[in-house]
Amino acid sequence: MRRFFLHFFTPRHSNNHRAKLLHHKVLLTITLAFFVGSFFVNYISRTYPSVLGVVAEVDTQELLILTNQKRAEAGLTPLVIDERLSRAAEGKANDMFTNDYWAHISPDGKTPWIFIRTAGYSYVFAGENLARGFSNTSDVVNAWMNSQSHRDNMLSSKYNNVGFAVGQGKLNGEDTILVVEMFGSTGQSQAIAAVSKDQVIEDQNPQVVEQETPVVAQEAQVVTEEKSISPTPSLAQARKPQEKSIKGNSIIVASAKTPVINVNSFTRNISLFALALFVFVFVLDIILARKKKLVRVAGHNIDHIFFFTMIIILAVILTRGAII
Amino acid sequence: MFDKFKKHIGYYLSLIVILIFALYLVVLVSPDRQLQMSIFIVITIIYVFWGILHHLLNHDLSSKIVIEYTLVGALGMSIILFLFKGGFGL
Repeated sequence: MRRFFLHFFTPRHSNNHRAKLLHHKVLLTITLAFFVGSFFVNYISRTYPSVLGVVAEVDTQELLILTNQKRAEAGLTPLVIDERLSRAAEGKANDMFTNDYWAHISPDGKTPWIFIRTAGYSYVFAGENLARGFSNTSDVVNAWMNSQSHRDNMLSSKYNNVGFAVGQGKLNGEDTILVVEMFGSTGQSQAIAAVSKDQVIEDQNPQVVEQETPVVAQEAQVVTEEKSISPTPSLAQARKPQEKSIKGNSIIVASAKTPVINVNSFTRNISLFALALFVFVFVLDIILARKKKLVRVAGHNIDHIFFFTMIIILAVILTRGAII
Repeated sequence: MFDKFKKHIGYYLSLIVILIFALYLVVLVSPDRQLQMSIFIVITIIYVFWGILHHLLNHDLSSKIVIEYTLVGALGMSIILFLFKGGFGL
């Protein structure tokens, strides 16, 4: 066994002084294995999502608990789930899946406020946090807390209500878990207090917001007739292998059957392991070749180390969750 | 290792700049997976040619080295494809 490892990973007489893993035939075999594997994994995850699928471990009840925990630590009052805000969050998630966008404002100009008002919530203050690609609830909350603007939303004294939606579906071609958190407050007395405290002048129109940041809007309580928005497919439609269930006031993504293997973790871990292994073997090859004073016809290992390191960074960036 | 790095400092620094620029581009076009994959293919081709060119200028180019760079580039591409096809888009 030891001899096999040395033969495979270190330059020695048995492998013509070049680790067997770096031989052309082995490189070609591994390359082909990844090419074939990519289509195989894709096919299996599409055909048998119960075997190889996306696992949704983000829970709205847990989101509420963790959010309120952070607020309690900051000496703020807890937020209360509001069914209308949860409906608004679900509407937003549906809209993002249906129209395939990842932004606070839809490509056709639909703001978060439209979803909130359509759900029947007349807000004084409102805000929205979005997250995608996270595998568990605490990662989502931590990511929001680590971003100043999202943190400001979570720890704002202006809000007293919150609504969550967790959806699973295809966004920009990627099977992902989408989390929508909508904040709001309706009370007139509270609004006056908040406005007074922050020295903000009330505006008749919602504040113009930039697309890349979470949003806080303020609006005088003016009853306006909103044009009805054409119904969008439900979350259940957006995520075929899963079903939607209502738990309390929030939408929970509940798998009909939890997949045996989480496809995202599976591909990420295999890719990172292979890349790290190659970097390790290239470094080892440089050290041992120098130590043994080997002269060989080969490419520069340093080049390959740089190239694979770039792919490792790329893989980490591309597979981590994102917030806006 | 460091002697070799010093000897070819210009080449290695330019390679690092190219790779960092590629990373920046890929993050910039996020989350468009098709565009990201296209950028990655282009950068892999540049990487392979850059390596071959360097050996050519160094007068130590051989078919074995050409194959090695091509295979390393193809391996990198296949791993990214595996990642994208396996749940992260495409």
